[in-house]
Amino acid sequence: MSEVLGDFIRALRSADIRVSTSESIDAGNVVDLVGFDDRQTLKDALSQVLAKSDDEKQAFAETFDTYFSFEQFKERPAAANENDEDGDPGEQDGGDGEGGDPSQSGSASAPGGGGMGGEPSGEPSSSRGSDLAGLLERGDQAELQMALAEGARQAQLNRIRLFTQRGMFTRRIMENMGLDGLNEEIERREASGNARGAERLGQLREGLRSQVRDYVEKQLEIFTANSGRQLREEVLAQMRLSNVDRSDMKIMRELVRKMAKKLIALHSRRKKVTRRGMLDVRRTIRANIEYDGLLFHTIWKKTKVDRPKVMAVCDVSGSVAQVSRFLLMFLYSLQEVLPAVRSFAFSGHLGETTDLFKREKLEDALVEVLRDFGGGSTDYGQALMDLESLALDDIDHRTTILILGDARSNYGDPRGDILKKMHARARRVIWLNPEPRTMWNSGDSEMRRLAPYCDRALTCASLKDLERVVSDLLRSAV
Amino acid sequence: MSTDEKGATGDIEAIRKGFETRGYICNAHIATSIFLAEKLQKPLLVEGPPGVGKTELAKATAELVGKPLIRLQCYEGLDEAKALYEWKYGKQLLYTQVLKEKLGDLMSGAQGLKESMTRLHDFDDTFFSEEFLEPRPLLKALWQPGGAVLLIDEIDKSDDEFEAFLLELLSDYQISVPELGTIRARTTPVVFLTSNNTREIGDALKRRCLHLYIPFPDTDLEQRIIAARVPEMEVRLRTQLVAFVQGLRELDLKKLPAVSETIDWARTMVLLHARELDAELVRNTLNVLLKFQDDIDNVDGEVNALLAKAVQAG
Repeated sequence: MSEVLGDFIRALRSADIRVSTSESIDAGNVVDLVGFDDRQTLKDALSQVLAKSDDEKQAFAETFDTYFSFEQFKERPAAANENDEDGDPGEQDGGDGEGGDPSQSGSASAPGGGGMGGEPSGEPSSSRGSDLAGLLERGDQAELQMALAEGARQAQLNRIRLFTQRGMFTRRIMENMGLDGLNEEIERREASGNARGAERLGQLREGLRSQVRDYVEKQLEIFTANSGRQLREEVLAQMRLSNVDRSDMKIMRELVRKMAKKLIALHSRRKKVTRRGMLDVRRTIRANIEYDGLLFHTIWKKTKVDRPKVMAVCDVSGSVAQVSRFLLMFLYSLQEVLPAVRSFAFSGHLGETTDLFKREKLEDALVEVLRDFGGGSTDYGQALMDLESLALDDIDHRTTILILGDARSNYGDPRGDILKKMHARARRVIWLNPEPRTMWNSGDSEMRRLAPYCDRALTCASLKDLERVVSDLLRSAV
Repeated sequence: MSTDEKGATGDIEAIRKGFETRGYICNAHIATSIFLAEKLQKPLLVEGPPGVGKTELAKATAELVGKPLIRLQCYEGLDEAKALYEWKYGKQLLYTQVLKEKLGDLMSGAQGLKESMTRLHDFDDTFFSEEFLEPRPLLKALWQPGGAVLLIDEIDKSDDEFEAFLLELLSDYQISVPELGTIRARTTPVVFLTSNNTREIGDALKRRCLHLYIPFPDTDLEQRIIAARVPEMEVRLRTQLVAFVQGLRELDLKKLPAVSETIDWARTMVLLHARELDAELVRNTLNVLLKFQDDIDNVDGEVNALLAKAVQAG
């Protein structure tokens, strides 16, 4: 039984639920306590041990329902009975065949009892020929289910990863269940002239085959439901943003949201930094009144870590637009943590997009920004001049200026002097360049003239890079 | 297996019934978690929106198992001295003064510094001993002779450091006092932690706990809760009232009314001798149910529609 649990936990993990080893052990204890019989109680109990957040609880409920659904065999009994009834007259005609036939023919008038009557007859046949044949003819679905599960276990179905493996696993499970014996039985019946019996068994075999295939497909779904997406997300996070396919945008958006959520969780509490060595005299005296004024308990001066004010300046011309889009997405999603983000976009001239972002939904806002500011030929000099007139007054010692662009200014003057002025006023200027470092300063790239006025100039090409930069931004703000 | 299972379901049902007689109405899910927490001897982390009865659950459990409830309210800046133990500094000071006076007697006749030191070493060291330890809630819970129900309320309000500090207590039911060593629980307490999810609780803590999420109750459960808490209310009014609150929860509000607010509202209705909900009455008492002026303004327009639905249900 613990194997069932182990498989279930594996299924949970592939559904994005983190289950630690100690939690698996707990789950084992829980199962010992409540047993497998009452599904609802088992579900309630396991969910408390294995799924420990709202999202996880939901995923858990879904996985539990798929994994522990025994419904696939439920419809079969009716069908099997029909087969029996169909087969009965045939076997009467055939005459010989199984020892159980007379009893079945006797029950033909009472179809309800047909299956029951047939049951004892199956056992001798199974001892003689094939277990599976007997099992199928008896139509005992519970037993068949168990045989199937056992066959699947032997075939290590829980290792299934690719949909191309379906056929192989179906065959292996059938073999483990005794396909060979069944085939022999069919041949034997054919040889002995029991054509109807052989045909009936053949039909049952095909029925079983489709059942097993269904089962395998369901398991495949359970065990790989998310692993494909996980892999995709991993790849996408590392991929150069300019290479991201349009069809992956949805996953990317989800990914940005996830990363932003992580950063929010990490940074949502305002940290206090104790400055040791600076005694807070007033509070120390107050705290030590209870000890007769003896200074047992010292209290040190603390500084609160301020959140940075961010000004994001994004180049939205052609090649860089893709990356800017994600930076803006990131900043947009981080509004919970970042108190003041002003965003600007430019290619030819520069404009503020802060209000637009406040007003519109993220997707619409991005489209609008690209429409209004994208497409022009890049001019960094003009952009910095515009920025100066728009926002220079607002730049103070708390402001971090984040510039995203390739610094390709079409051989125009990039106006490093303006950036210098801003650098002097701001806390930090960070330049994110989507091009690899080797490409900087080649052709019309003006990094050499702008980089001196940046506290940091970084390559930033993938989501992972972006995440690192933004996380840094939140952490190092002292 | 099957007898085991019968026993488990039986126990769970018994817990549910036990709660019910004590006025805490819950479903099988919550009863299951209490059953597991007791059998597995694991702390139970209870999450859910405010006012769904997280703290109440701990109180009801304490009553059910007949053990004292020891409560620790968490807040930012809570530290060991307030949660675990503190030295009785005043007494320790007195002790050293007494010791100083006695020192003369003790040292009389000692030859040289070396012998004095040996004598001092032989002397019982009681400066750091349990007698001078002032137990705070956590230590109290461990020391309680017959065991206790420990409620660590609103763990999400505490600092990360405090959370880390709880880990030892939660996994092994023991704590370390540097001067004394490890103090183990005399009887393993039943531990509840509650959280309103104002921040993400650390993985390490979650891993050590069972996790129970209590959502807003459905109509049926809420009716039973009101029936238990405000028994003097008529059935028809109760049905209407619950239907109205359930409708309210589907609106987009800053703070949705929780069970505790429904109970307050029901009590208000009883005080006002109301027999039926009407728009006038609802508007006048809406502030019992909703705690933000924005929400009250928003709902004002919807009252008639909600009321129509509620009266239909009644």
